[in-house]
Amino acid sequence: MENTMRFAKVSFAGRIKSMLKVDFRRMFKSKLFYILIACALVIPILMTVMMSMMDGSVSVNPQTGEETIMQGPENTWQNIGTLPGEPLGGDEIFMMCNINMAFMGVAVFVCLFISDDFRSGYAKNLFTVRAKRGEYVVSKTVAGFLCGALMLIAYLIGSVLGGAIAGLSFELHGLNAGHIVMCMLAKICLMLVFVSIFTLISVAAKQRAWLGICGSLGGGMLLFMMVSMITPLGSTVINVALCAAGGALFAFGLGAISKVVLKKTSMV
Amino acid sequence: MNAIEIKNLSKNFGPKQAVCGLNMTVPMGAIYGFIGENGSGKSTTEKMICGLIPTGGGSIKLYGKDYTDESVRAKMGVLIEAPGCFPGLTVFDNMMLQAENLSIPDAEQEVIKVLKQVRMEGAAGNKYKNCSLGMKQRVGIAMALLGNPTLLVLDEPLNGLDADGMRIMREVFADIVADGKRSILVSSHLLGELQKVATHYGIIRHGKMMVEMTADELDASCRTYVALQSAEMNRTKMLLGCKYSRVEEDEAGYIRVYDLTTPEEIVTYLYENGICVTELYTDKIGLEEYYIDLMKGGK
Repeated sequence: MENTMRFAKVSFAGRIKSMLKVDFRRMFKSKLFYILIACALVIPILMTVMMSMMDGSVSVNPQTGEETIMQGPENTWQNIGTLPGEPLGGDEIFMMCNINMAFMGVAVFVCLFISDDFRSGYAKNLFTVRAKRGEYVVSKTVAGFLCGALMLIAYLIGSVLGGAIAGLSFELHGLNAGHIVMCMLAKICLMLVFVSIFTLISVAAKQRAWLGICGSLGGGMLLFMMVSMITPLGSTVINVALCAAGGALFAFGLGAISKVVLKKTSMV
Repeated sequence: MNAIEIKNLSKNFGPKQAVCGLNMTVPMGAIYGFIGENGSGKSTTEKMICGLIPTGGGSIKLYGKDYTDESVRAKMGVLIEAPGCFPGLTVFDNMMLQAENLSIPDAEQEVIKVLKQVRMEGAAGNKYKNCSLGMKQRVGIAMALLGNPTLLVLDEPLNGLDADGMRIMREVFADIVADGKRSILVSSHLLGELQKVATHYGIIRHGKMMVEMTADELDASCRTYVALQSAEMNRTKMLLGCKYSRVEEDEAGYIRVYDLTTPEEIVTYLYENGICVTELYTDKIGLEEYYIDLMKGGK
């Protein structure tokens, strides 16, 4: 009997393909993914319609007697980015509650997605047969990025629907459809920055989902205000290039750190 | 070439030394029973072999290659602690995920095949969280069997299995090592069950390998004894205790006289002292007793 064993090598492309296949299969079977996409679609509709209904209503401060007139949205695109000539962050109503919330929503997805691997013990199965930690990080980052991109697109669709239902203006104030496309592309590229941060925090937190979510939301908040500055409605190809470069830089840099974290720590 | 070759392996968890200069050899084609007390370092060693925790020193080679080698690792099957399954997914979906991780061509057929092997094909559509403990254990074993693994590492695979499950496991183990190249490392506290399948043993204590032996060597080193019952058990025990160095009463109520292969001598001796032996047989101690003896510091 021959006293040797031959083992077939699986190429990097083959390994990453199978890992992505698993992650996409899991993502598209996960309720959380559909809940987040549904939220991204419904929130802008509800918010736009409700704020439009409240437009012009007067609220009185019972202590001072001061009257405040509620101001509803005027333009559909305020949900997406800052219109030219407006202060950064957009209209007061949409200052915080706009498409950029998707960056926070994806934090929840990435943290739960990764912590589930460790909580269920799936990580044990995976890391026994797939020794390369870097591939795991790449796969999770890509899955998170895809989820984030889909959330952004859902939010855009929701905003347009909400604007149409509320009868808001679709006036672009000197901009054109190309700017909106560039704005969306810039946000999608910027999503990679956020997803890389969330992935790093999640692999460090492992099965402690609460720690991952708190850390990711905290870390995300530090960069959150920057999003509207980098990706205004009047974005051009330069904004997209900057966001793509930032995304690539963060993905490589933080991905490498995530890999080291996984390598140096226990998987169980 | 050996399936697993560990040299001077160590691992610390803070000030606690879990594994300390461990040497271990699992030959190709072996079913290696890895035995030790709770906290002796079995699971830690297995986790290091599987690359789940970093080693603290020493070397691990799997089929002559470093344990981090992708090609060898892709041919490993593992069940450590609980099976790694998502509770909300069905048994079949969980199996499919691992099949895809292993890049198994014709994954569905392979999943069905291994589920049949562990008699779980009927529960493939059940959600994992609704499975009983024994069913979960079978799913874990099925998952470890995916992709025809060359090396199986199983930590307490027999826990929660019913008699049929244990029989299936024995058959599966025998099938796997039949070609003489594939190997199984299995740790279990069910020593009686382990003895039925293991071809090699390694006994670990305080993170160190106490003894490694084949099943034949164990058989040879296990002490023989004569077990008997009489009408006057207390007097019999006292009389035998005066003449022989080791006399004990076992759980079944037999008096055992160790290191003696000829029962005639005892029967004559007791007869001369007016005691009539009602039942008598000779046997060897099993793995369990050998292990207990070893842990007590006996031979």
